[in-house]
Amino acid sequence: MHTSSPLKKEFLKKWMEGLQICCSSKKQMNVLERKKKIKLSADIAMASAKKTPTSWSNALISYARRNEEYMILTDQLLGPESQFNLQKSTDRMIGFHKRVQCKKILKRRNTYSAGKRTKKKTGHPRLISATLIAKRLVKKRTKVLKRLVPGGESMDEFSLIKEALDYILSLKVQVDVMRSVVTATEILSNEKSLKSVE
Amino acid sequence: MEKREEMGVDSFQFGEEIQSLMSVVQPPEAGNSFTALLELPPNQAVKLLHSPEETTPNIFPSVFAVIETDNSLDTTSSIRPNSSPNNCNLVKQEPIDSYSLHNSSPMQSDPIISKSAKRKEREKKVKSSAKKSKNVADETDGEKLPYVHVRARRGQATDSHSLAERVIARREKINARMKLLQELVPGCNKVSFKNCYGHVYGCLHSIVPGAMIKISGTAMVLDEIINHVQCLQRQVEFLSMRLAAVHPSIDINLENMFSAESGSLMDCNFGGLVSSVDGQLNGSSHHQQQLWHTDALPPQPLWGGEEVTPNFITPENSLLSYDSSGNSGCLHTNQLKMEL
Repeated sequence: MHTSSPLKKEFLKKWMEGLQICCSSKKQMNVLERKKKIKLSADIAMASAKKTPTSWSNALISYARRNEEYMILTDQLLGPESQFNLQKSTDRMIGFHKRVQCKKILKRRNTYSAGKRTKKKTGHPRLISATLIAKRLVKKRTKVLKRLVPGGESMDEFSLIKEALDYILSLKVQVDVMRSVVTATEILSNEKSLKSVE
Repeated sequence: MEKREEMGVDSFQFGEEIQSLMSVVQPPEAGNSFTALLELPPNQAVKLLHSPEETTPNIFPSVFAVIETDNSLDTTSSIRPNSSPNNCNLVKQEPIDSYSLHNSSPMQSDPIISKSAKRKEREKKVKSSAKKSKNVADETDGEKLPYVHVRARRGQATDSHSLAERVIARREKINARMKLLQELVPGCNKVSFKNCYGHVYGCLHSIVPGAMIKISGTAMVLDEIINHVQCLQRQVEFLSMRLAAVHPSIDINLENMFSAESGSLMDCNFGGLVSSVDGQLNGSSHHQQQLWHTDALPPQPLWGGEEVTPNFITPENSLLSYDSSGNSGCLHTNQLKMEL
């Protein structure tokens, strides 16, 4: 795998900071809460560790900040300067999102009204059905992808794929780092428990 | 004149043969004529067939040769029901060299070429196209194309036989056609969407593990991307759960050391690591140090707290295997979904 180590370092640093902040806030948390916080800090660290902020990273951060619970964490983690940039991007994205939704509503209305009037098939039905099938498949998959990639709702197909690829790369980095940290801590804890038994 | 009649009768036959030629024809013709013909409804196309307006340079002799080869068939017999799927399966790969060149009137080859441009429709529904061509032919000079009547009936006759075979072969055709159509038809959304796939295929092969992934078509690429994203997200979830389970037993000091030392340790400076590890290990046993010295250096950079570095050697090796197993797990799910 060709993941970059500076990205890993950056991610790890930020993640550890985030974890520290989490741990310092409360002493007793149950597993699920902890897991959520860990995941959140990992995601935010990932998003902020990128050198060139892409759309999905901004989206991640903005989603995190919307939830009040996590807002403090993210603000602390990111630092004050980035907050300003993020505010702008979030506003832009919210506006874009609303625009997209309005377009969808208009489209739906038009199709309902115009669908009955116009007759669709002009050529051979079997030839049309092939392209229709293809279109349908592609549409379905783009919908799914839009849901998966953070901030993908308000993107056209072309940039969606770019973002998705970028997201995949950073997810890989995240998984690598997390995996090694987890296994290391597991081994460490095992050894500690062994020592305590002795 | 006789030749023409014989030619015309077996329209269904050479419709299939012409597809194979069409695969060779298409690359040079990629631009205007094909798409223009595609957009025409069959009536107009057939009109074009019989009008001597369209000219395409090189294809005439070879295409006509196809028809010549068909002359051997009995004209009055019904079309062989197996003809369509067999020829369809031959589709794209037949070389043009197999056909001998003949001298023939260019007028005759015009209809064939434009007919070949419409081969998609013909193959899909011979009956209706045959009927329509019949209608058009009635308008045109009857002297030229008396065979049209036979063609229509033949289409009807074969439909019942060849439907089953056609259904079987249809899926392959659809895939191939989809690809061609997406390449040729000038729809801006699709074109821009498709153009980025040049990059995407390249990136995807490097990013997604498993070089043997064969991706064809928009839907498959998207499918692959979706699978990968889902797989990775699930892994993140599991790993955070694991970490959450382990967490309470770990000191916060560890986290401090992580963050403090992470900057210095990331540089893969193994010599530095040795000294730092020796200096700062708390209660690490002799056994561990020996492990650390004797084990082979992992090729990946060591990063993490210094307390943990002696443990990294052994987990790194296990990590490598774990990595591959995790990724192969993803790959297997991907492959399964592809097959589905």
